[in-house]
Amino acid sequence: MEALGSSDCNLEILETLSDDAIQEITESYDGFFTTVESLISGTGDSSVEDEFVSHVYCLCKYGLDSLVRDHFLRSLEQAFEKGGASSFWEHFDAYSEKKLTNYGEEIQVVLCKALEEISVEKQYHEKCLSIVVHALQSYKEQSSVDRQTSDTERVHLFSRFQSMLSSTLMTTLPQHFPEILHWYFKERLEELSAIMDGDGIGEQEDDCMDLDEKLRYKNGEMDVDDGYSQGKRLGHDKLVKNIGKVVRDLRSIGFTSMAENAYASAIFLLLKAKVHDLAGDEYRTSVLESIKEWIQTVPLQFLNALLSYLGDSVSYSTTSSDLTSPLACCPSPSFSKVVTPSEGIVRWKLRLEYFAYETLQDLRIAKLFEIIVDYPESSPAIEDLKQCLEYTGQHSKLVESFITSLKYRLLTAGASTNDILHQYVSTIKALRAIDPAGVFLEAVGEPIRDYLRGRKDTIKCIVTMLTDGSGGNANGSGNPGDSLLEELMRDEENQENVGFDDDFHTDDKQAWLNASRWEPDPVEADPLKGSLSQRKVDILGMLVDIIGSKEQLVNEYRVMLAEKLLNKTDYDIDTEIRTVELLKIHFGEASMQRCEIMLNDLIDSKRVNTNIKKASQTGSELRENELSVDTLTSTILSTNFWPPIQDEPLELPGPIDKLLSDYANRYHEIKTPRKLLWKKNLGTVKLELQFEDRALQFTVSPTHAAIIMQFQEKKSWTYKDLSAVIGIPIDALNRRVNFWISKGVLRESTGANSNSNVLTLVESITDSGKNEGEELLTGEEESETSIASVEDQLRKEMTIYEKFIMGMLTNFGSMALERIHNTLKMFCVADPSYDKSLQQLQSFLSGLVSEEKLEFRDGMYLLKK
Amino acid sequence: MATVNGYTGNTPAATTPVATGSKQPAPPTKTVDSQSVLKRLQSELMGLMMGGDPGISAFPEEDNIFCWKGTITGSKDTVFEGTEYRLSLTFSNDYPFKSPKVKFETCCFHPNVDLYGNICLDILQDKWSSAYDVRTILLSIQSLLGEPNISSPLNNQAAQLWSNQEEYRKMVEKLYKPLNA
Repeated sequence: MEALGSSDCNLEILETLSDDAIQEITESYDGFFTTVESLISGTGDSSVEDEFVSHVYCLCKYGLDSLVRDHFLRSLEQAFEKGGASSFWEHFDAYSEKKLTNYGEEIQVVLCKALEEISVEKQYHEKCLSIVVHALQSYKEQSSVDRQTSDTERVHLFSRFQSMLSSTLMTTLPQHFPEILHWYFKERLEELSAIMDGDGIGEQEDDCMDLDEKLRYKNGEMDVDDGYSQGKRLGHDKLVKNIGKVVRDLRSIGFTSMAENAYASAIFLLLKAKVHDLAGDEYRTSVLESIKEWIQTVPLQFLNALLSYLGDSVSYSTTSSDLTSPLACCPSPSFSKVVTPSEGIVRWKLRLEYFAYETLQDLRIAKLFEIIVDYPESSPAIEDLKQCLEYTGQHSKLVESFITSLKYRLLTAGASTNDILHQYVSTIKALRAIDPAGVFLEAVGEPIRDYLRGRKDTIKCIVTMLTDGSGGNANGSGNPGDSLLEELMRDEENQENVGFDDDFHTDDKQAWLNASRWEPDPVEADPLKGSLSQRKVDILGMLVDIIGSKEQLVNEYRVMLAEKLLNKTDYDIDTEIRTVELLKIHFGEASMQRCEIMLNDLIDSKRVNTNIKKASQTGSELRENELSVDTLTSTILSTNFWPPIQDEPLELPGPIDKLLSDYANRYHEIKTPRKLLWKKNLGTVKLELQFEDRALQFTVSPTHAAIIMQFQEKKSWTYKDLSAVIGIPIDALNRRVNFWISKGVLRESTGANSNSNVLTLVESITDSGKNEGEELLTGEEESETSIASVEDQLRKEMTIYEKFIMGMLTNFGSMALERIHNTLKMFCVADPSYDKSLQQLQSFLSGLVSEEKLEFRDGMYLLKK
Repeated sequence: MATVNGYTGNTPAATTPVATGSKQPAPPTKTVDSQSVLKRLQSELMGLMMGGDPGISAFPEEDNIFCWKGTITGSKDTVFEGTEYRLSLTFSNDYPFKSPKVKFETCCFHPNVDLYGNICLDILQDKWSSAYDVRTILLSIQSLLGEPNISSPLNNQAAQLWSNQEEYRKMVEKLYKPLNA
């Protein structure tokens, strides 16, 4: 095509040509063709070259120089296609079927060899090309054209050759070649990384390398111990040189961007592996610094060496010069070799660091749940994550992923409320570290709070968690150590001026302090959810928020406190006093008043108890069968301020009853006109049972004690008789008796029916029926409480409301939630008056709906017919 | 003088509706009474709710404890079996010394109930005693359904038909409009 084009241009000349001239042209044209062929194939000797040059001259004379160029290049192309390119690819044919991971060691050799071959071929072609150029040049010099054009000639020809070459290779590129390149760089970088790792942290890192790498490392150039680091340096340089050579060869055949892609992706892959390696499942150390350091020592060092070896760091200088690395201000000492990093390196560094941050962030976010479980031990990981997020700004990723894992792993029926609460508190603490403004916490906390509101024991668990420190709690669910409240207290002392609840601490000064601390919300903040000032991170506040109101929390605490105080045998209430004091700070004096009275009751009881005992000591001698008042301590309650106490009838055995009434009489003497009324079923009894062959000690409830005491006189009782004597119903008796049976103290023998079953005292251990009793024991004994729980109270109240709701719905047909609420407020005024929130009513109503008592249709409640 | 006349002349006109309107809140002098009425009605409501008599129910309207709505169901084995009737009960400030005004809100085909729902029942008129309460009123009306007083009918048609219980049942069913429909 080109030949045709050029002859078109020379048509005029053609007409002027003589026959001789045409003859000469044809001859040299033929000669040119043959010489080109032999020149390229390299078969001819030096005479071919001379002949070739003379033909070129001849053709040029007739202005056919473009023909010379075009034909020569075409011939080169054909030759290259046939020879160089195909043989180059042939090297890799064997690997086309293999997967990325197992190209094996020999590919390095193959690649180097192939590249070398093709380079040699290319050099030869270039040599041929330069002969042409030379010929053309010298012709032009002869015809006194100035040198300037001949240089352009050269540049022009070589660039055409270069593009011809790479396009030939590209069009014949097999699919797996980029993979091979990628793999090659990956392997080399790993090798390099292994060498560099040996530098400082080598010993620990050894374990992280895979096996063949380790092998290579050991069989490598530096198995000699002395000159270790020198060997390493040498190894490093050599390796970089090797890689550099490959890159240069690849560039020379026009694979610049492919090579760059390959080593870039290899570096990123390595970096990713490194981050995973370093970070892994270890949350107790900060890894960010070591990752940064590694970036400095391995990939950047490598790139630096590579770029300087290639000597083309200038190629990056086109980018704007105001790029700065976040680390540029504090260059790490290990990087001192490079004093002023080139633009290319800085750009690489930014890319690598961002990538590292992102990788670490993704890794940490994916494991955030576990990290928070470990909090505060995992705080280094949280700190890392915080830094990463500051850099990448992908907070929303965190929120989404964390909420998903929460829903999947925590907010399920299998998780105990206590665990959820602990995780919630840890989440609050951890996220507060990441984001002091609490924006993300709000988003994350919402599902947890919603979920917890649906659980019945939430309030109880929260109160336990808040107030219960070391053991001695009613549910056995608290964590040992300080109570959360104490911890919160300490926190607060540490960060002074952070008021816990705005309701209690708002004064002008506080308002001013709040105002002066104002900071704009992060951009991610949801503007619908109030501003920062209201979003102060306040763990107690957030817990109270779950419950609904502080009154409910205080109420639940009161029940718990009552239970605890009633179970005390000494008057040691120091921890309770401290807890109440702390709660007073947070919830105000007024709401804790009843608890204070309860505590005061204990203090008073202690005094009264001593007084009564003192008074009785002066009295008469003890008669037979009479018990000393010293064995008795009392807790005197101001009933009105205590939560409702479960009252159970109980007939105490005579001597005990006598003791109690004596005590009550003395109390009356001291505290006239007050009278002491015993709650006989409450309290604890320490008793020792003496049998023929053993003595056992127990601490039990008065009912249990009363039961066993009956056996002192009479060795066997029927249920019926026993229940009559003790004055408790048979089913209640049954439960209590099981305790003694399980302890092997009593034995049950079957009668005509269950009520006439006979209980017998087991006098000696040999005839005990202990084993049968063991199974009855499970879960029976601890379930008793003397205080009506908040739920029980609530249920009782709610049954009244249920009747009212049924009544109003009978007469008004269907009603909306709001109207039911208002009507209850209006008319349910008697004791206990209606004091529930709309939400509580709603959940109660949905309970009735699920019990199929009510129907809910179009926002209205109606009776289920 | 004219203005004074006009003023004095106006006064009775303004106060009359207050005095006559039984639904109106009590005048200031009767505050104590009205308080006790309120208390009585509240305790009656509580008793009624907790008592749980089957087939009768009543509840004050949303904003006024002097106006109640009641519901009674027809007793078993009477022609009114399976029906439900809505009533209104209006209490005055004199309650319980004066009987409340009780009317059927839904149509009830009954010898002692007229087309407007007025009820002819002795304890609601001359036989009223302060010992009666909402519960007893409702129970009386419920039993009245099954045992009408044919001698002093408000609805003659119903009184005449009463002897034919089968036909009467058909009439009840024909005229009955279910509640909450």
